[in-house]
Amino acid sequence: MPGFDFTNHTRNAALHARGVPLPKATSTGTTIVGCIFDGGVVIAADTRATSGPIVADKNCEKLHYIAPQIWCAGAGTAADTEFTTALISSQLELHSLSTGRKPRVVTCMTMLKQHLFRYQGHIGAYLVVAGVDPTGVGLFTVHAHGSTDKLPYVTMGSGSLAAMSVFETQWKSKMTEEEAVTLASNAIQAGIFNDLGSGSNVDVAVITKDKTTLKRGYVKPNERSKKQKSYVFKRGTTAVLNEKVITREEISKYVTVHELEGGETALGEKMDLDV
Amino acid sequence: MCLSALNPNTRAIVPGAPKVQQTTELQRPLQIPIHPQLLTLRTSQPTLEHHGTGYDLTNSVFSPDGRNFQVEYAVKAVENGGTSIGIRCKDGVVLAVEKIITSKLLKAGANKRIATIDRHVGAVSSGLVPDGRHFVSRARDEAASWRSTYKTPITTKDLASRMGGYLQAYTLYSSVRPFGITAIVAGWDSELELPVDGQVGSGPSIGSGGKVEGMTFGGPGLYMIEPSGMYWGYYGAATGKGRQTAKAELEKLDLAALKLSLQDGVKEAAKIIYVAHADNKDKEFELEMTWISNLDGPTKGRHQEVPKDILEEAENLAKKYLEGEDDEETKDDDKPAEGDKMEE
Amino acid sequence: MEFGTSGMLNEDGIHVDMDRLKKGEVNLGTSIMAINFKDGVILGADSRTTTGAYIANRVTDKLTQVHDTIWCCRSGSAADTQAVADIVHYQLGMYATANNRPPTTQTAAAMFQELCYENKDRLSAGLIIAGWDERHGGQVYSIPLGGSLHKQSYAIGGSGSTYIYGYCDSNWREGMDEEAAVKFVKGALREAIKWDGSSGGVIRMVVLTQKGANRHLYLPDTDYAVRHQ
Repeated sequence: MPGFDFTNHTRNAALHARGVPLPKATSTGTTIVGCIFDGGVVIAADTRATSGPIVADKNCEKLHYIAPQIWCAGAGTAADTEFTTALISSQLELHSLSTGRKPRVVTCMTMLKQHLFRYQGHIGAYLVVAGVDPTGVGLFTVHAHGSTDKLPYVTMGSGSLAAMSVFETQWKSKMTEEEAVTLASNAIQAGIFNDLGSGSNVDVAVITKDKTTLKRGYVKPNERSKKQKSYVFKRGTTAVLNEKVITREEISKYVTVHELEGGETALGEKMDLDV
Repeated sequence: MCLSALNPNTRAIVPGAPKVQQTTELQRPLQIPIHPQLLTLRTSQPTLEHHGTGYDLTNSVFSPDGRNFQVEYAVKAVENGGTSIGIRCKDGVVLAVEKIITSKLLKAGANKRIATIDRHVGAVSSGLVPDGRHFVSRARDEAASWRSTYKTPITTKDLASRMGGYLQAYTLYSSVRPFGITAIVAGWDSELELPVDGQVGSGPSIGSGGKVEGMTFGGPGLYMIEPSGMYWGYYGAATGKGRQTAKAELEKLDLAALKLSLQDGVKEAAKIIYVAHADNKDKEFELEMTWISNLDGPTKGRHQEVPKDILEEAENLAKKYLEGEDDEETKDDDKPAEGDKMEE
Repeated sequence: MEFGTSGMLNEDGIHVDMDRLKKGEVNLGTSIMAINFKDGVILGADSRTTTGAYIANRVTDKLTQVHDTIWCCRSGSAADTQAVADIVHYQLGMYATANNRPPTTQTAAAMFQELCYENKDRLSAGLIIAGWDERHGGQVYSIPLGGSLHKQSYAIGGSGSTYIYGYCDSNWREGMDEEAAVKFVKGALREAIKWDGSSGGVIRMVVLTQKGANRHLYLPDTDYAVRHQ
């Protein structure tokens, strides 16, 4: 039967009334940062995606394309950051086409905040928006509820505290591109090493008036070293006690056998990922 | 006519013309039969007298010389209506209308023609009375909508602007006809600070700081809106059958100087309606008058009927003035007074 | 969404204003105020924005322009107050072009009130509207949580305001000159920042007079003594 199943509602309510706590939502983990410098802006992110306590992806991409000169770092729910940035990217390109002007960072930020505000925080996207447009350099944070901040350096995600401590001690006004990239990278590494939710590599995007440079895997402080020994079990480690061959014709009597097309894989259970 | 040569039906019978497939997409538009009347339109000059040209039958179609006849016909309807006037005085505004009595069975003083739009605004119109009623209804909606949006009364000017826009829309569509009225909207916009409706408290006891000295705000407002949607602000406004006479009288008052008091304005208004009616003596009429004074005046900024005693006094003065004129006329032209004939 | 009904402070020392916020929402645990003075109005605010116990922005600008000489102080949810201010900013811009005259402070206050009252169940926004126009001079309107509208000589708001009712009551004078008025606002906000954990950072002010809008900035480094910007 399609639709919702409420059969456990009464039971859950009764359990809750007796003091059984609700299952606790696992907090999501990420470190993303942004920092302006003389002539441009840099954003950076770690590359760990988690699903509950499991590291779901050791090298995911958290820097999202919005427009050639506007990029977004995303924290929160992976699907939400992915789809929200894609949606706004699309709308912004159409807007740019209809106005015949280059897209602006404030426009992007406004579209994001109005979209997120409309969904009252249910879209769990926490974003750092950065870019260069005809009006100059732009750097904003957008929270899932739709509030925005405009600052010279920003951090978000569970690793934001660690990253902010780096900015608060090392940031200075009038930095060069190199200085800014190093600072942003250091801030992300503070998240990678001090925040359980963040890990793996540092991705960096540098946006200037002339070009955008995406530095995927700018720092890889967690390369897996070669194992000193092979732990593969040798063939024959497990003794074969007996052997029986069942033909396809035989098993077809009991179950339906479905031929997979080329390239098609069997559907397993889907997994929710947190970035 | 060269147009007929384009018609493929015609072309088919032209000797030696190449045979063409008559139903190709490109040719289809050419097959629309050309109404003989349309052909005459191109050459003849349509005028108001020249009916049946087609351009006067609907809104949303211009005549070749850029006129909308439906609007001009609406003006004709206005020109047959009872005279309405408005006078902008220094301390208020007066509205007056000549209400033609169409039946002796109508109760005197009933069936008001001047309506209140908001506490501080009134409106009167000449032309089709039901159109005037709809105008009033819409004006009330506009005033109420302004209040609910801005929590403050609409200014006379803004109301005139909104209603101008509304009437103009009725000249654009073939499914509607223009309003058969010209309306006069009068109001007094408060000269004091405007509170927000529903606010609590009133700020500093010594008043707000930083006001610009010597500036005045609010005051009397008088606007006239025509069937086309065009509207202007006036010192004195007149419309309807006797507008020419009324305008001539209004011009004598030097209203631009803004020296005329409201009390005198009421007397002048009554006089003008009586004078304007003199050209239309065969019909009986009632004078209906309303006013809006400033906040210190008799109506305290509200639109109200002119009290009976003041109205009667003004009417008596008007009659006396007319009698004086009639006497002169009688002397000059040796004609009998026509006042009694109306009793028929 | 459940709101707390506890007293002034929760056991973790965080202000109960936050109980009205959705989980993880950014809060302006705030000290804001606006006052009437001889030549117009002055708006003032601290600069602290918090998410729970974390300061998400220590140099926030809570004084938001909605028209040339009409501004507002925002307290409560950052998202809600920004959204409301953005809407009114747009509406006032439309009003000015459509009617060919600048809106009055009343017009702005009415627009804010409409939004705050009609959406009172969905919003946590405590606003102070202050503006100057040539007809009415400087005016201060306060719109607290339920969406009522109060015209006041001066208004204080946000979690930090509770600490300065006494200060304001004893130091307030009608018709102050600009210097005295700035000193009053600064003095009040200094106390609010001192006693309220949810307020802090810099002191921002906007002076609204016939001459237009004039910004002030005071940093804690010098105990708010020196004016920057």
